[in-house]
Amino acid sequence: MAAVLQLSQVTKAYGALRALDGIDISLPDNAYISLLGPSGSGKTILLRVIAGFETPDSGSVLFKGERVEAVPPHRRNIGFVFQNFALFPHLSVAKNIAFGLENRELNPITDSTVVRARVKDIVALVGLTGLEDRGVTQISGGQRQRVALARTLITEPSLVLLDEPLGALDANLRTRMRAELRTIRERCGVTFLHVTGSETEALAMGDAVLVLDRGRIAQADDADTVYNQPRSASVARFLNCYNLFEGQLSNDEFVTSVGKFPLQGQKADARGQPAYAIRYDRISVRPLASPVTAEEVRLEGTFIADEYSGAAINSFFSLDDGRVIEVESHLSQAAPQTCVPHSRYALVWKRQNALVYA
Amino acid sequence: MQASGTKLALGIYTTLFLVFLYGPMVVLAILSFQTGPEGGPQFPIIEWSTYWYKHLFGLTPPTRIAPLPIEEALVRSLLLAVMTMIVSTVLGVTSAQAFRKKFTGSGFAFYLIVLGMMVPGVLVGLGMALVANALGVDRHWWGTTFVLHVVYTYPFAFLVMLAILNRFDQNVEEASWSLGVSPVKTFRKVTFPLIFPGVLSAMLFAFTLSYDEFSRTLFASGRDLTLPLAIYGTFSVEVHPNVFAFGVLTTLFSFALLGTYAALMMLSIRRARRVAIQEEA
Repeated sequence: MAAVLQLSQVTKAYGALRALDGIDISLPDNAYISLLGPSGSGKTILLRVIAGFETPDSGSVLFKGERVEAVPPHRRNIGFVFQNFALFPHLSVAKNIAFGLENRELNPITDSTVVRARVKDIVALVGLTGLEDRGVTQISGGQRQRVALARTLITEPSLVLLDEPLGALDANLRTRMRAELRTIRERCGVTFLHVTGSETEALAMGDAVLVLDRGRIAQADDADTVYNQPRSASVARFLNCYNLFEGQLSNDEFVTSVGKFPLQGQKADARGQPAYAIRYDRISVRPLASPVTAEEVRLEGTFIADEYSGAAINSFFSLDDGRVIEVESHLSQAAPQTCVPHSRYALVWKRQNALVYA
Repeated sequence: MQASGTKLALGIYTTLFLVFLYGPMVVLAILSFQTGPEGGPQFPIIEWSTYWYKHLFGLTPPTRIAPLPIEEALVRSLLLAVMTMIVSTVLGVTSAQAFRKKFTGSGFAFYLIVLGMMVPGVLVGLGMALVANALGVDRHWWGTTFVLHVVYTYPFAFLVMLAILNRFDQNVEEASWSLGVSPVKTFRKVTFPLIFPGVLSAMLFAFTLSYDEFSRTLFASGRDLTLPLAIYGTFSVEVHPNVFAFGVLTTLFSFALLGTYAALMMLSIRRARRVAIQEEA
């Protein structure tokens, strides 16, 4: 696959803060890429650099093989969907969508019948038929999102940047729009770069997931790899499904403040701070007296509370040093241990399931 | 008990406030209907009449009371106000646009602009007269006075636009750029329509401030007087109710201006809404 966008060593600083600290990415043609980063990781700035709203301090941005750092935004043909949609409030839905076609610098379309036909097609594609003459303040959040998307797609950009596009929608709508965004993208055959702070959204949407951590790309892999093998403790933390223990690697053990965890052939990844990570759903809860096999690691904790979410139950245990451990039990697998508050239980996992960073 | 006492006090205060605010205007309006030409600018009203209004337009038989020498002054003042309005608004919009990005010396430039409305008018007027004399430049309402009016009204237009642009969502412009629309066209098609209500306010400010500006004009204008100066000139001889009649007419004119402004505002707000109402009907 040809790369539509390539960034190498892109750096951008604001005073002493290095918002982007040597970014290297390569986005394939015709793909859905999600970019996951916590707030303050520099994800919006990265998008703004790609779109041309900000100039990088150093590094190169190649769009379809050409350097574009000095090209102004309106000559880049890179679409941008804003979190607040940024629709033109003085124009109707149809006028908003037609705006780029009619007013762009490079071959604007002046024939109103052509414009009308193109608007009609795209309106049908995003599912806005019947709302063309409404003012953009007179439609719902989801519809506004579609207008923002249609307005961008009609100009046929090769790359569309979406800055937390679902952030302004309510939870119900967000799930529906996820699927729709994917279908719309597939029909247009362009590359979407979707920035989000939500790990579930990033994993669900992206053919590939980029994880941004303090101005650097911490991992770039497919969703499955990111979820199962986060490359650093920070990535594991963003995924929100790993219990993390800080400590030191010594011989065949990982030494933490709550005990020593024996390892089993894990190769420690040499990135960032040392840590030991075990996924929520890899831990099982047992009565204190139950036996432990040789491949298992055992910790004791006091049950605090649990949270029922339909398909799973998330239980919280406090360890002796006050740290809270989360355990996820999938209800389809087995009826989980029923826990009594303020009682102690054994938390057990297989040695090989843990990830070690040192 | 406490509450009603406060209410009463506030009521009295507000009434007094309104009386002081509108009292003089009401008195002038009443006196403008004094009979003429023997009736003077004082109570009681001898007889109600529109004599002084007719006198203003030269529709009465000639008497010893000369018609107000304002015809040319009125035209001059209106022209001057329109010129000032255009230049100040253009300057205000463009410079406020420039201030959206911090540039070197922006703080200094800000105070420099705002200085124009802070410095006492008499001083600026006198200073302009002295400078004009020293340089050998003739003083005219369309020259020295015009410059002073712009210096005075430009900060108002600038501040109005600064407040408007402060609340302006820059993403909307960026969205337009990312659609391939050049910054100049974006300003014309997106930014300007959105800040238009602010531009109207800036124009209104500039026009009204220039139209009745007195102290700066007093020294800076040459032989040809503007309206405020012409009216003041008539006071020095003898005051007749024709001045009041004229005052009433200009007030009505100002109301007409405000009405136009309000109508334009309403239109620009309704434009978006109208479509939706049709949709629901």
